[in-house]
Amino acid sequence: MDLNIRYMIDTFFLALTGVPVTLSITAVALLVSAPIAFFMAISRIYNIRIVKQVVSAYVSFIRGTPVVLQILIIYSLLPSWLNAMIKSLSWDINIFDMNPVIYAYIVFSLNTCAGLSEIFRSALLTVNKGQLEAALSIGMSAVQAYTRIIIPQAMVSALPNICNLTINLIKGTSLAFMMTVKEVTSIAKIAASYGYNYIESYLDILIIYILLCSVIQALFALVEKRIGSYKTLTGSAAKAV
Amino acid sequence: MRPFRFLFIPEVLFDLLPFLPVTLMMFAGSVFFGSLLGFVLARAKVRGRKVSGILADAYIAVMRCTPPIVLLFIVYYGLPELLLSTIGLDINAIEKGIFVLVTFTLLFGAVMSEIMRSAYESIDKGQWEAAVSIGLSPFQAFYRIMLPQATAVALPNFSNVLINLMKDGSLAFTIGLIDIMGKGNLIISKNFGAYALETYMALALIYWTLTLIIEKSFGYIEKSLSRGKRSIAE
Repeated sequence: MDLNIRYMIDTFFLALTGVPVTLSITAVALLVSAPIAFFMAISRIYNIRIVKQVVSAYVSFIRGTPVVLQILIIYSLLPSWLNAMIKSLSWDINIFDMNPVIYAYIVFSLNTCAGLSEIFRSALLTVNKGQLEAALSIGMSAVQAYTRIIIPQAMVSALPNICNLTINLIKGTSLAFMMTVKEVTSIAKIAASYGYNYIESYLDILIIYILLCSVIQALFALVEKRIGSYKTLTGSAAKAV
Repeated sequence: MRPFRFLFIPEVLFDLLPFLPVTLMMFAGSVFFGSLLGFVLARAKVRGRKVSGILADAYIAVMRCTPPIVLLFIVYYGLPELLLSTIGLDINAIEKGIFVLVTFTLLFGAVMSEIMRSAYESIDKGQWEAAVSIGLSPFQAFYRIMLPQATAVALPNFSNVLINLMKDGSLAFTIGLIDIMGKGNLIISKNFGAYALETYMALALIYWTLTLIIEKSFGYIEKSLSRGKRSIAE
């Protein structure tokens, strides 16, 4: 098996130009879904009727269907919906000229919401109820109690899961090529189709994803160390004793 | 815009369901071979031998960062050439299912090994020592004492990765395997792209049902396996 090394190096740098798109999909999905997922988690913890049922059904559906299918559904549904809406509002925008990355943002945000809400829920449940009661009893408002006491503690147990979710999200964005988004996978795939150099291209993609995920993992490890510092302190104190 | 036709969903379900066995066979095959691979990897890590442990670690780290679709294409395009150039075996005409099976075995093995290892390490070492000290052989101690306890610990994670594997398996249509996804796409192109949404909805229903079945049955098994366990709460 002989690989075309020259082609591989060229395509590697070509595919690297898709990294910003991949990262932007990841970042947008995480940022958009974080607040929504938080309220979804809260609604399930506090047993708010109807909202809780809707959220559970939504999470179960997203968890139960493959991302490809979600992409295909959104991509065959949304453009014509938006088009009909814009026509009825008689705006002067052609929806089919829009950058398809918008659809990728929507699909992956919808997808991440579900996963993140589950992570937040389990993380919030790990915090002792006494913490909230103590915070409220010394006169903090509910928002203060959450932002200053509960969430920082919940983050410690949530971070490893969030890291996992981010990695899976990055891996998932490789499917955005189905929506003709120009990210790492699709750029390398298109380059491959000129000379049938598929193996080289896919190896390039693989290397890029490995690099990306390693960086993300290292970053999360750093943050984890920083946020969980109070834990390691007590841990080392216990060891010293 | 064309109105959504609900009645098309049950109609298309009847066309899709005959292909469910293909999906399930790929799934079962990957679980079986992946678990074997996972066991080998987990054993390499638990035993703490240097070289094999590092190799297993590297393999798991790489697989963790590999999108399933990328590995699928690497195997699909790379494996025939690799075999042809190294041992002169021509597998270009082979069933596409084999490539799918190889891909998901490789992926699932890495995930599975982590679950097995963490479950095994969560069991108190004293259990092993106690078992060996009353005269069980190492194999008996593993098989009768460690394995049942580790299985109970591993179950929730196991059900999670099974669900993920099944969902990732839906990518097999991209190399042309005719499972339910492949059949769904064939139906859509047979209808010249009409009723795409309805067909995808039907597929979503099938996958959702399968996921719920896995989830519920594992919840049930977990309950019956954890009978003897007491947590600090009780």
